[in-house]
Amino acid sequence: MQSNRLGWILLAPTLAILFFFGVLPFIYVVYVSFHQWNPFAADPTMIFNGADNFRKIVFDAEFLNSVGVTVLFVLFAVISELVVGYILAQAFMKEFPGKAIFRTIHTLPLIMAPIIVGSVWKLMMTPSIGIIPHYLNEWFGITVNIGTSPVAAFATIIIMDIWHWTPLVTLTLIAALVSLPPDPFEQAQIDGANKRQIFFHITVPMIAPAVVATVFIRLMDALRTVDEVWMLTGGGPGSATRFVGVHIFKEVFPKTNYGYGSTISVIVLYLTIVACWLLYVTMLAPRSKKD
Amino acid sequence: MAQVKIDNVIKRYGSLQVMHGVNVDINDGEFVVLVGPSGCGKSTLLRMLAGLEEISDGTISIGERVVNDVPPKERDIAMVFQSYALYPHKTVYDNIGFPLKMAKRPQDEIDRKVTGAADILDLTKYLKRYPKELSGGQRQRVAMGRAIVRDPQVFLFDEPLSNLDAKLRVTMRVEIKELHQRLGTTIVYVTHDQIEAMTMADKIVVMRDGRVEQIGAPLDLYDNPANIFVAGFIGSPSMNFVHGQIVNEGGVRQFRSDNGLMLPLPDTSAPDGTKVTYGIRPEHITIADHGVPLRVVVVEPTGSETQVFAKHGTDFIDAMVKDRFKAAPNSEVRFAIDPANVHLFDRETEQRL
Ligand SMILES: Nc1ncnc2c1ncn2[C@@H]1O[C@H](COP(=O)(O)OP(=O)(O)OP(=O)(O)O)[C@@H](O)[C@H]1O
Ligand SMILES: [Mg+2]
Repeated sequence: MQSNRLGWILLAPTLAILFFFGVLPFIYVVYVSFHQWNPFAADPTMIFNGADNFRKIVFDAEFLNSVGVTVLFVLFAVISELVVGYILAQAFMKEFPGKAIFRTIHTLPLIMAPIIVGSVWKLMMTPSIGIIPHYLNEWFGITVNIGTSPVAAFATIIIMDIWHWTPLVTLTLIAALVSLPPDPFEQAQIDGANKRQIFFHITVPMIAPAVVATVFIRLMDALRTVDEVWMLTGGGPGSATRFVGVHIFKEVFPKTNYGYGSTISVIVLYLTIVACWLLYVTMLAPRSKKD
Repeated sequence: MAQVKIDNVIKRYGSLQVMHGVNVDINDGEFVVLVGPSGCGKSTLLRMLAGLEEISDGTISIGERVVNDVPPKERDIAMVFQSYALYPHKTVYDNIGFPLKMAKRPQDEIDRKVTGAADILDLTKYLKRYPKELSGGQRQRVAMGRAIVRDPQVFLFDEPLSNLDAKLRVTMRVEIKELHQRLGTTIVYVTHDQIEAMTMADKIVVMRDGRVEQIGAPLDLYDNPANIFVAGFIGSPSMNFVHGQIVNEGGVRQFRSDNGLMLPLPDTSAPDGTKVTYGIRPEHITIADHGVPLRVVVVEPTGSETQVFAKHGTDFIDAMVKDRFKAAPNSEVRFAIDPANVHLFDRETEQRL
């Protein structure tokens, strides 16, 4: 009993912080999402409008479009990051000259703020002054302009995200690979498995928990990407890169639509949870169920 | 089925050499047991046979083929690791069936072989469990199962029964012998267990510090150990050794220990005054009135036999006698030794005389 009370006392500060900075704002957002509210209007009072905001979402073509764009972005980015991250992690498992330096440089993007990443990439991509369009043109005769080409803008954002976040995937996969016991891999060779069979039958299942955790983190992050995109393309051209994060941002800040913005946030949170749950069920649950 | 030839094999880890030119010839279908103290290189040798460890020098051939550069999966060997090496994310069934699945065997064959192996190994109840839900002995049996569903050229076993209880160990020992007789496959088997080594082996290889000390049939090693190390290692309880020299007192050649203990000498061409180590197995000593007098240290009855520890000065000798025997510590006991059972070793080289 005594130690139990002490436990709660020790937990109290954390719980308080969680409550004030996590739970309360969340409840507040849910509350706001049932209102029409423009704090900068002539009449800044909140007007309760029931489920109107939620009904509006269903017919909001821009929102639906942004969900589509976001899903596409998340799929491309996260899958590429996994593949590239795994290849890099395997490379870092081997010894080669300059490995330590290379590994350090490779993790540098991680410590950069997204807004900086966005502005650096914008600088690099701006036609006539950016280094990337310049060399693409000089070497391959390709003209890219992310201001006018939706595909170029979308692709650039994916590449930027890969550049920014692959190191995170690499690091978690290295941690997973390093902690793998060597015996099952040796045994699998003796049991006659080739490289491909070892990868699918031994490596993948054994690092699956780490992969799923990484995908969770990347998925949740990617679903609420705002600042980099805002900086690089502002959601354009047109609505080609108008991800849900950007969409919410535009609803709330330029349009000062606080109520409707909150509603979209709640829906996006719900969609994120569903996505993670699906992922969990398909990747991890079959194993624990068999236990 | 295949013969195995280990020819002057050397193993180095960086600058550290742990195997110093090992030669072993294994005939087709032979059951070879590797024994030796911990760290002598048994597992390393097995891993080199399996292809998991690079061979620094020398050659290993399986069948007619030199396998130095052949990857494990093409060597057609089955191995049971000292650490079991089960696949943690696979059920017992999938663990045992894995080699068959990799070989793309039909499902009904996999089914039949896995359930058959599970039956032999008493694992039927556990087929749906995961390794983490098994005891050490059960895991070890799963590792055995994964080997015996195959029909390889050579079986490699690294202490496969070390974690089983005494009863199961006997059962499994019989199973493995039976498996060997049925399939006739060459087996290389590592063990610490004297009884396993003596009862299962066609041939025992005694190793020490990365060298082969002696190779021979079990009883051959028991009767004619090449040196003190083998003599002490083979047989349980191990052989008594007394240091001394050959003396001739009034025409009777005898052994006199450094402490003055006189013991009967077997026929030997070694001249008088030769410094020797005298070896006698505890089970070859009887208690009789004409024996050599010693002082009892302790008496340990084990039921079927009684082990009597006795001493003379700093010479300790123990005897394993069939009869029940009781004696107070420090009382006199007489050990009778038949010279025919005595082994003499050179004190300097430790080789048999
Ligand atoms: N990776 C390694 N690097 C350096 N030395 C090693 C390595 N693996 C094994 N050794 C050394 O090689 C020697 C032989 O080891 P090995 O595992 O073959 O012994 P063993 O006879 O199987 O012992 P045990 O009966 O305890 O299993 C030991 O001295 C060990 O320290
Ligand atoms: Mg070993």
